[in-house]
Amino acid sequence: MEQNIHRKGLVNWLLLLAVSVAAVLVARYAHSAAGLVTSAFLGLGFLVAAVSYFQMRLEHRERMEQLEFDELRRTASSGTLFAEPAADTFPARRAREQFERFIVPAFSVLLFGLQTAGAYFLWRLVGEDETPSVQQGTVAMALNALFALVLFQFGKYSAVLARLERQRLLRPQAGYLLLGALFCMITAAAEVAGWAGYPHLDRIVARVLLGVLALVAVENILALVFEIYRPRLKGVAEHPLYESRLIGLLGQPGGLITTAAQALDYQFGFKVSETWFYRFLERALAWLVLGQLIVLVLSTCFIVIQPGEQALLERFGQPVASRKILNPGLHLKWPWPIDKAFRYETDRIQSFTIGIEHDEHTEHQRVLIWTKTHAKEEFDMLVASREQQTTNLVSGEQTVPVNLLAVNVPVQYQIRDLEAFAYHHANAHELIQRLAYGEVTHYLVSVDIDDIMAAGRLKAADDLRRRIQARADAYGLGVRILFVGLHGIHPPVKVAPDFEKVIGAIQDKEATNLYARAYMATNLPVARGMAARTVNEAESFRLRTVSAAIASAERFTNQLDAHAASPEVYRLRAYLDTLGRALGQTRAYVIASTNQHGVVTLNLEDKLRKDITDITLPPAKN
Amino acid sequence: MKYHPVTLVTGLVVAAIFAAMLVCFQVRQTEVAVVTTFGRFSRTIDKPGFNLRLPWPIQSVHRFDNRVRNFERKYEQVTTRDARLILIDVFLGWKIKDARVFLERFGGDQMMAEERLEGILRDAKNGVVGQHPLSDFISPNPSELRFDAIEKEMLASVKPKALENYGVEVVLLGIKQIGLPQSITEKVFERMKAERDQLVKQFQGEGAGEAIRIRSEADLRRDQILAEAEAKATVIRGNAEQQAARALRTFEQNPELAVFLLKLDALEQALKERSTLVVDTRTPPFDLLRTPPTPATSK
Repeated sequence: MEQNIHRKGLVNWLLLLAVSVAAVLVARYAHSAAGLVTSAFLGLGFLVAAVSYFQMRLEHRERMEQLEFDELRRTASSGTLFAEPAADTFPARRAREQFERFIVPAFSVLLFGLQTAGAYFLWRLVGEDETPSVQQGTVAMALNALFALVLFQFGKYSAVLARLERQRLLRPQAGYLLLGALFCMITAAAEVAGWAGYPHLDRIVARVLLGVLALVAVENILALVFEIYRPRLKGVAEHPLYESRLIGLLGQPGGLITTAAQALDYQFGFKVSETWFYRFLERALAWLVLGQLIVLVLSTCFIVIQPGEQALLERFGQPVASRKILNPGLHLKWPWPIDKAFRYETDRIQSFTIGIEHDEHTEHQRVLIWTKTHAKEEFDMLVASREQQTTNLVSGEQTVPVNLLAVNVPVQYQIRDLEAFAYHHANAHELIQRLAYGEVTHYLVSVDIDDIMAAGRLKAADDLRRRIQARADAYGLGVRILFVGLHGIHPPVKVAPDFEKVIGAIQDKEATNLYARAYMATNLPVARGMAARTVNEAESFRLRTVSAAIASAERFTNQLDAHAASPEVYRLRAYLDTLGRALGQTRAYVIASTNQHGVVTLNLEDKLRKDITDITLPPAKN
Repeated sequence: MKYHPVTLVTGLVVAAIFAAMLVCFQVRQTEVAVVTTFGRFSRTIDKPGFNLRLPWPIQSVHRFDNRVRNFERKYEQVTTRDARLILIDVFLGWKIKDARVFLERFGGDQMMAEERLEGILRDAKNGVVGQHPLSDFISPNPSELRFDAIEKEMLASVKPKALENYGVEVVLLGIKQIGLPQSITEKVFERMKAERDQLVKQFQGEGAGEAIRIRSEADLRRDQILAEAEAKATVIRGNAEQQAARALRTFEQNPELAVFLLKLDALEQALKERSTLVVDTRTPPFDLLRTPPTPATSK
């Protein structure tokens, strides 16, 4: 048995090396943070196992040396020769003592450094981890479970051996093996959780495991400090400095239970640890674990498809002929990995926008105007121009008969035929975006800028939708284009002010027009009024003239009668009457001279009547 | 150390699973697989399903996606037949036709395959665009546009090369975007501005012209109305004269008296206001001043 101990140590050491390398590879492959921590832990275990293996070898050699020495002493007769053994009689013991005095503490310090550094760097690394794919997760899960199994078997064996044979140097190895097994199991569980839809658990588990690693480091440094003050007694087997009691405890909770059971036995006075329940628990544990595994496999026989989803069912990778597509509801299938289902959100409306790159900031703007950019980046699309292309005669360079237009075309679509969608194209979503972009380009280069910016817009959106749909069908995409919007078509920001000026000019034209109409509106009624006045005046003239004529005719008839009675007298009377009336208010000078040669001077400046200027005001009294 | 039978069973099951993992593999509907033995090609599996293999490291399985993959790389400047510069972006969809060739050429690296395809595509792009004038790309007249034909020509140019050299079938190809280089874009903006400016001027001119037309029309209609009214008034006045003249016939009975009476009327009218009359004594009744009547008794 003695012979075998250090061989066991060697096996454990090699096992830890192999498993830790494998665990690193698996963890890198599956992007598992917990796996990475586990492998780091196993690597530390490998170092510890190496040191303890060397110590075992040294102790073994020491024992061999002691045996040889005893043999030598027995065969020697009186023993005078070797009564006082020289200091260099036991080189192996000296080597062991040197090893324990210098190498072991130095290794403990190194171990502490490695534990601390490992905990620190891994903690930082965990944050940057990405989530694994399902397949990677599955592989990692299976391999970690295998590591756990192997480590557990060897660890358990070493632990029992260490206890039975009092092999203290096997204990640290057993501790690392068993706790490594536990870590592997936890990592596998974390992968299962990730597979079941809780990928963040992996990081949390990794952090917890790192916490354990940090605790071990703390324990290590405390043990180092206590080692300095420990009373050294001869004959007491020393605890290896690098052995962690914490690891031993965590890796073998059985030891704790046994201790507790023994304490209970002592308390109760009978052997609780031999009761049927305790025994049953010990025996049934393996069954329970196996049962759980079976339940896990069976649970993959059911699949629930959520509303709005569809799934593709594949048996050994081949679509199942009668049930290619699973609709919402509960479905039975063969367990993984025979049948696999791939879910797709077929009812979800997916959307993207052509022509711009969305910008968080402007997204919340309420007012969108042409002269300010609405998005992070707007791509100018080429648009045809009906204008005749002109040639610059001097340089011979032709101006390009195109216009540029910034567009913002949202497109919404839905998966219509899941089989076509999933099986024809590897990156169908990107293809839809590209072909829709292409169709918009194709459409814009064939229309005139003013047509599309004005009336043709609604029709254009419908045309575009149909063309994108046709192209998607031609490529067998299995999607339905639900909506294509052309609401964001506008001139590029650089020329937008000029476009606005045109609209301003149209408004101006309209205004000028309206002013002219106002001029017309006021002038015509006035003209009509004036016309009416003219006619009315004429009318009143007519009335006056005619009635005056009639009236004078009437009077004349009467005057004729009067005249007939006495023509001479009537005439004179009429004459005198008139003269008398007329002269009543008139200034009259009657010149009573018949002399034809005399000159009569009349001062006609005399006022006819007094008026207001002839009133003399009384002088103002001072 | 005693082994519990259940532990043994569990161990065996796990071992069996791992053994199965080593010798079995599935090929999905979306995949094509190539099996190599010691690195040498053995077979291609292009039908989905369950397959057996020898464990690693004897045989290895290389899986490729057999669906159409599309990609676009460069938004690149090319020259048209009429020496115009345009930027063109073409997307391309390809799938693995011959998985063995694909594995041998690229070691199964899709990115590398796409880079090689990009090379062929650029060649085709330059070649095909160089054979077409700009008007094939941009035209307000849809019947002149040769977009589809250009895409077909590019596809026809790319397809055989890709199949022959890389075991890859180019399934689809489309122009995603065309544009102009920066310097030309600036010029286009200038032209667009000029065009808009012209429109502004046009609208301003149209506005002014329209206004003049409306105003003159207003003037015309006003004058028309006034003229009509004038004419009407003239007729009325004439009518009035005519009617008045009818009354004048009455005066024909004694024209001499009528003239006398009219004279009297006129005289009265003339003397009504602020006039000064200078008469001599021969004018009746002032003749009385010359020969004042003497009473008969005094004679």
